[in-house]
Amino acid sequence: MLTIRMVEERLAKSHQRGLIHGACHTYVGQEAIATGVCAHLHNADAIFSTHRGHGHALAKGMEPGQLMAELFGRETGCSRGRGGSMHLFAPEIGMMGTSGIVGPCILQAAGAGYSSLILKSGQVGVAFFGDGAANNGAFHEGLNMASIWKLPVLFVCENNQFATEVPFASVAGNSSVAARGAAYGLSSIEVDGNDVLAVEAAAGEAVTRARDGGGPTLIECTTYRTRAHAEGMGDFTYRTREDVEQWRARCPIARLKKHLLEHGLASDAQLDSIEQEVAALTEAAHEFAEKSAYPTAESATSHVYAVSANAPHRDAPSTSSATREITFMKATLEALTEEMARNPKIFVMGEGIGVRGGNFATTSGLFAVHGAARLRDTPICERGFVGLAGGAAMTGTRPVVDFMFADFVLDSVGEIVNQIAKMQYMSSGRLKMPVLLRGCIGIGHAAATHHSGSYYSMYAHFPGLRVVVPSSPRDAKGLLKTALTCDDPVLFLEHRELMSVKGPVPEEEYFIDFGKAAVVREGSDVTVVALALMVHKTLAACETLAAEGISVELIDPRTVAPLDVDTLLRSVAKTGRLLIVDEDFAHCGISAEIAAQLADRGFDDLDAPIRRLNGKPSPTPYSPTLEAAVVPNVEAIANAIRSLHAE
Amino acid sequence: MPIEIQLPRLGWSMEEGKFLDWLKKDGDFIQEGEPLFTLESDKAAQEIESIDAGILHIPSNGPKPGDLVQVGQVLGYLLSQGESAPGLSPQRAPADPQACGLDPSAEGKSQRVDVSQSTEATLPRATAGHPASPRARRAAKQHGVDLSTLSPSGQGGRIRECDVLAAADSTSSGGMKSVPLTPLRSSIAARLMHSRQTTVPVTINGRCDATELLALRRRLKSKSSSDQQSIGVIPTINDILVLLTATALRQHPMLAARWAGDHLLLPESIHIGIAVDTEAGLLVPVIRGVDTATLTQVATQSQRLIAEARAGKLAAVDMHGACFTLSNLGSLGVEAFTPVINPPESAILGIGAIVREAVPLDDGSFVARDRLTLSLTFDHRVNDGAAAARFLLTLRQLIEQPFQGLM
Repeated sequence: MLTIRMVEERLAKSHQRGLIHGACHTYVGQEAIATGVCAHLHNADAIFSTHRGHGHALAKGMEPGQLMAELFGRETGCSRGRGGSMHLFAPEIGMMGTSGIVGPCILQAAGAGYSSLILKSGQVGVAFFGDGAANNGAFHEGLNMASIWKLPVLFVCENNQFATEVPFASVAGNSSVAARGAAYGLSSIEVDGNDVLAVEAAAGEAVTRARDGGGPTLIECTTYRTRAHAEGMGDFTYRTREDVEQWRARCPIARLKKHLLEHGLASDAQLDSIEQEVAALTEAAHEFAEKSAYPTAESATSHVYAVSANAPHRDAPSTSSATREITFMKATLEALTEEMARNPKIFVMGEGIGVRGGNFATTSGLFAVHGAARLRDTPICERGFVGLAGGAAMTGTRPVVDFMFADFVLDSVGEIVNQIAKMQYMSSGRLKMPVLLRGCIGIGHAAATHHSGSYYSMYAHFPGLRVVVPSSPRDAKGLLKTALTCDDPVLFLEHRELMSVKGPVPEEEYFIDFGKAAVVREGSDVTVVALALMVHKTLAACETLAAEGISVELIDPRTVAPLDVDTLLRSVAKTGRLLIVDEDFAHCGISAEIAAQLADRGFDDLDAPIRRLNGKPSPTPYSPTLEAAVVPNVEAIANAIRSLHAE
Repeated sequence: MPIEIQLPRLGWSMEEGKFLDWLKKDGDFIQEGEPLFTLESDKAAQEIESIDAGILHIPSNGPKPGDLVQVGQVLGYLLSQGESAPGLSPQRAPADPQACGLDPSAEGKSQRVDVSQSTEATLPRATAGHPASPRARRAAKQHGVDLSTLSPSGQGGRIRECDVLAAADSTSSGGMKSVPLTPLRSSIAARLMHSRQTTVPVTINGRCDATELLALRRRLKSKSSSDQQSIGVIPTINDILVLLTATALRQHPMLAARWAGDHLLLPESIHIGIAVDTEAGLLVPVIRGVDTATLTQVATQSQRLIAEARAGKLAAVDMHGACFTLSNLGSLGVEAFTPVINPPESAILGIGAIVREAVPLDDGSFVARDRLTLSLTFDHRVNDGAAAARFLLTLRQLIEQPFQGLM
């Protein structure tokens, strides 16, 4: 507690001196909670924290120098200068990260609990969060899931009574956080958060329950921060000096000292000597941080993706390899079946993917082999189980999230983009994020607008994600095998209209690398780039055009992130003409990206303007006549190629 | 304000010229009327004088020696003391005063006028014609195809790679390389085509004895070397033939006549063009007043003109006004040929090689003599065959007895 206090006060001074480049949220006044909880944790136990996380990092065992250096933006900082105050990472001691977003830590801690379940490791996941997070959907979804599956998790709510500067009482229908736990069937307890012994006792009981398979506990610790929300901010627009002074008087450190002296557990001299020791430690940490070097600019984009030291050789099978005709869906099921048998860390989550075997039979037969823990039917809480999957990946398992339709997962975009995609980078490459997110895209069968979107362009925009859009059973199997063995988060998007398409799939085991486009058909007059179902429609157009003497080269990038621009450039160098056929919208989409890359790098090869044929910019309509009008069809593709050929 | 130095138009039909070089250095102060740069138009190189005074600024991206430059294009600037030069854009777009940040003051207005005047001459060629795809432009560069000569096949009139390749195939099938025309080559081609289309040429040949001609030339040469005082030029065979031709033309003036549609024009004095082979191509400088000149005067004129022609410095005025032309391919071993009339002249004399031959005498014996063939091409509209033959006979006699002809 004293270390936290002295380090925070030193940081407050450093902030004033300009040593801290960004925000600085101190933990002064709340030290008892991190200290009391972490007293029961080992390095293998994973904690997840909030924007006010310095105390959690220190209590979990982080060197004060590493914390200060991170806030000073130095290479020796715990996140190597990539995080700052709100993004502290030290996975080697179970400090799995603080977050600038309120709520995700609750889901990630549930994910750590799920890893513990799969790995049978006995490790506990702990989420520290404030009263603000207790009003967030993540709280409700996370508590519910942890309760259903009896996950070994502690949900520690530090109720300091203000969500930033909004009083909790003014935004809570029921101002007891602990009472909410009961609604989800959790053991819940409310303790004095400024009494380290009370916290320590409650946490001890909760950790024991978790380790013993008794499931999660919600601990509401009532407390108060006695410094401003962030250093440098005004503090008395929403509370009074008197309020703050009252709580200062209830300082957890002073209370512990008093207790120790009263019970003869320590002498004044001993306590003084501890204070001197901590003061010296703090000064040394400050000196270390201030003397540390800044990271080099060249390293600014390293760790966005995982570097696999010994990536398996992923040569696609030779064309001579024996094949059989199976459906796209069967091909992906083969990939998942093979990898689940090989890797016990893989588990699947989704709605109806357990006994039922998935809406599209994506997990058919696997429940009987691997059981409920590895084929987990979830509540309908996409944000919740995607966030949980992120936490599971951070703690050593390989979750596969089967979200049926890509439209559904938009509820969890914050977890994907803000957490899963950024985690490897924020942790300077020390965390791996092998999360596979799979589901259906594409227009067809009058599914209308909530079961038909193509979202790959949006995901491809964000650094840190791999985005796969296969068009054939053969590619789907090889790419899913790669996705299930790759350390980066992967969006695996399967066009609904392709699920029952049959094609040759090699008998032998094989992988297909990301970022390698397939030349589906060779030609000399026009290059067409197409994805998923558009590959098949373009192929049909190619036959008509061949009879007219127009030779089309059809290229399927297969993955839109990474995008194989080199293969496209080689083709355009040959044909001089490029058409991009994409079911997704034109505006800011992958077709725009491909056009821009080719215009830039292939300018002198172009004999005509780059053309695009996209889906109409409209939500998908229901009526078949309307639905057909918003998607490129074979005739439209053929006409676009004819027009470009004449251009 | 910086004064723009533009490429001047030297003749009404001149569109472009080859910029040869600056005669002054960047930073030199230039007086009005000082020679500033040399320019090759049509056939001649010419020194161009400055029409203003100022400090010369030669932009780094301005034309390089040998560049073809459009009339009106800015070559450089004359600056006043302390004035900085504006940037020179290789292809200037029409000026947008707002985009340029000019304010609508009097100065701004006058600058706008300058700019629009200078772009008027340069822009049409830059924007005229059809747009070409990047790939077509690259192919045109590789194959040396002039995009402005192509007909586009693309929708909306775009030149495509296939258009360039087709043109390259037709002009250079079998691995031929295209070489751009120099202004001189274009000019020669145009004049010869004009000649072919506007005259009725007939060529007649006649042989004559050149033994005495060579003797005369030897005598002139030895006289020059023995006469230490003389630093005069030694007349060549060609100079002697120029003079003898003028003598023959005096006797047969119709061979020096010009066709003028409904009448003929006879020259008052005899100026004779001599065909000169230069690295750049054929040039025909003119020796003036040959009918009243001495052999030495003819030789002096011809040597100067030949030297200037070969150096590319022949002035335009030195190539005008001839009534007859001599073309000598004899030094290259040609014995007879069909020279092409140089309009507006109506006849041209080709001179073949002097060949030593055995000539039979009346007694059946042979004697060695130097002989040469004269090839006269004349415009049959102006002269009939007999008249031309009579001129040629006179000339042959003069050559056989040159001492008499020079009297």
